[in-house]
Amino acid sequence: MKGRRDLLRLGAGGLALLAGCGPRDVGRRDDVIRLWVAPNEAEEAFWKVAVARWNAEKRGLPVSFTTIPTAGNSEDTVLSALVAGTEPDLCTNIFSGFAVQLAALGQVVDLAAMPGYAELIARRRMEAVVPGWTQGGRVAALPIYSSPTLIWWRADLLEAAGLSAPPATYDEVYRFAGRYARPGARYAMQVVAGRSWQDRWFDFISFYYAASGGRPYLDGARALYADAAGLAAATFIDRMFRQGWTALDFDAAEPLVTGLAAGAVRGPWDVERYARTYPDTLARIAVGPVPAQGGGAGRGSTFSDAKGIVIFRSSRVRGQAFDFLSWVLGDEALNLFWLRRTGLSPARGDLLTNPRFAGYYRANPMARAYAEHVATARPPALSEYTIDVQKIMTSRLVEPLMTGASSPAAALADAVSRTDRMLEAQT
Amino acid sequence: MRSGRPPFRNRLSREAVVSLSLAGAYLIFSAVFWAYPFLWLARLSVTQWRFFDEPVFTGARNLIRTVQDPQFLLSLWNVVRFLLFYLPIAVGGALLVAFGLRHVGRGKAFVALCFLLSNVSSGVAMALVFTKIFSTTGPLNAWLFDWTGIRIPWTNDPTLAMLAIALVVAWKFVGYYGLILYSGLLAVPGEIYDAARLDRAGPLTRLLRITMPMLNAQLMMVLVFAILVSFGLFTEPFLITGGGPSDGTATPQMLIYETAFRRLQPSHAATMSILVSVVSYALIAVLRRLFERKVVLA
Repeated sequence: MKGRRDLLRLGAGGLALLAGCGPRDVGRRDDVIRLWVAPNEAEEAFWKVAVARWNAEKRGLPVSFTTIPTAGNSEDTVLSALVAGTEPDLCTNIFSGFAVQLAALGQVVDLAAMPGYAELIARRRMEAVVPGWTQGGRVAALPIYSSPTLIWWRADLLEAAGLSAPPATYDEVYRFAGRYARPGARYAMQVVAGRSWQDRWFDFISFYYAASGGRPYLDGARALYADAAGLAAATFIDRMFRQGWTALDFDAAEPLVTGLAAGAVRGPWDVERYARTYPDTLARIAVGPVPAQGGGAGRGSTFSDAKGIVIFRSSRVRGQAFDFLSWVLGDEALNLFWLRRTGLSPARGDLLTNPRFAGYYRANPMARAYAEHVATARPPALSEYTIDVQKIMTSRLVEPLMTGASSPAAALADAVSRTDRMLEAQT
Repeated sequence: MRSGRPPFRNRLSREAVVSLSLAGAYLIFSAVFWAYPFLWLARLSVTQWRFFDEPVFTGARNLIRTVQDPQFLLSLWNVVRFLLFYLPIAVGGALLVAFGLRHVGRGKAFVALCFLLSNVSSGVAMALVFTKIFSTTGPLNAWLFDWTGIRIPWTNDPTLAMLAIALVVAWKFVGYYGLILYSGLLAVPGEIYDAARLDRAGPLTRLLRITMPMLNAQLMMVLVFAILVSFGLFTEPFLITGGGPSDGTATPQMLIYETAFRRLQPSHAATMSILVSVVSYALIAVLRRLFERKVVLA
């Protein structure tokens, strides 16, 4: 009997050990600021220098950084760390929708309430950028960089069709498509970016922002895109498919490289990829705006795939962490160094007027094209329900337009009413 | 004060100690990687928890919410649609592999290993390759367009997309299932076929009256594996179709992943996973009852 009891005790001990694997404060320190950064070579190189400078100048608590320990995506890793209690004090690479989810769960600090916030916004000239990251006066994450989406066109194909500059309006795209496209063989433009919910940022949402001048497509529990701009964007997508000027997908190969499509939505992150893999194609690329209706108020607006930095509520060094964040974001020399290392434009509104950045943009016309849109590019809607909103957008709006199953107006109305119902049910 | 009984260790025979040690490794493994997560899952399914707060008991609320969730019901229906394509393709292909292997003379092991290669290949790599193959601008459609002037929207029509995924998954598993059936074929005594030939039974009669009934155990095994694969589908639809079009290839596993880690609703996801297990086991039980036969050689 005693033996059995021993065995039971052993088992109970094991279970207790397992139970101890639950969330708790692990390694929470107040003598160092722990920072996680995006796991890519360029960003890591920036943070290495920035952190070394901060520590060498003894500006505050020392900072220790590591890349986000992920093999897949950052959100899963951050979430696991939060549950396990192993999250750092600061974390970069946070997409705005995820920041809103973390804020709703009470896991991140409201940066707008931190002392020195207003000074940082003014010093970094973020007045035009920060409204897209503000919800109810609260800021869960501050954008480090802003990557607007623009259209890459094969300049040689445009020239062969008699165009000296990239098309900027729907009518210009239609005219070019009429000359270049051969249904089934080659297409004017890749209109739909893909099938997953994230792809909507790179097609309908980009088109909507361009058509609306950057108006939000979502406001709390209501979808806003059933308006003239939404109809214009949906009609553009519909017409491109109905005329055979675009294909259902371009999964087989890079369409710009093969010339299967003369234009496609691309971000600044593609510049380095093309420079490495398709340098010949990159040399023939002309960058144009996301098309909108002629004379529309929205010319120049587009979607911004920006990533931000958060301070976790569990941090014991919030104030010092914000001091570091404020220094690293607000220092112009560091912003320029970031730009040189990563090629991604810092999320500030004076990129083209500040002489410190002039040299870089003079030497990099493609980067300049993106910089021109940083102030007017808009991030995704700040919603906890991004996935559901964009899944509905996919299945009820974009897919019916691709196949011709619905008219633009009907698809738009259906998508918006379903989104509203879904949001109403959630809140 | 000492008890008169010998110490616990002395009372266990050497054989018992060895057995306990061997079983203990498995029991600890199961406790850590099966029982503990399962208990958490069960707890989550009857509570409301969003990763950082304490779970609050909510009774059957998650269950009611899940059985009324149209996305969840659609994902279960998608599994049925997948099985309708997958079972004939995978079982038919596996039978061809098994019968084919019977006629291979030299290098049988090499041929069998070749069939298994697809099974051990990376699902992610395969999905990426098939995404290109099935693309409307891909090589398959380019060839079709050149010959017939038409393109098949493999991944843009809900039915064709499901067929495409069934083909990819069948390609992965057909060799594995084929080897299972081949082992069954080897176990069928040749004398039965000799007797049937004496009775003038034709090839079709021998197939339907002897081979298939004698393969019942292996076929049931393949059926069970196929159902488990169907309810566990994630990589192929996630990468090839993203669950579309019109959520027509969204699977329960994709929904569970999105619900837990993208919508941050682990309690809802836990209930879904329990329901998926129950449905898959129920389906297996029904099919076994309907089709499983005990084969006895008199």
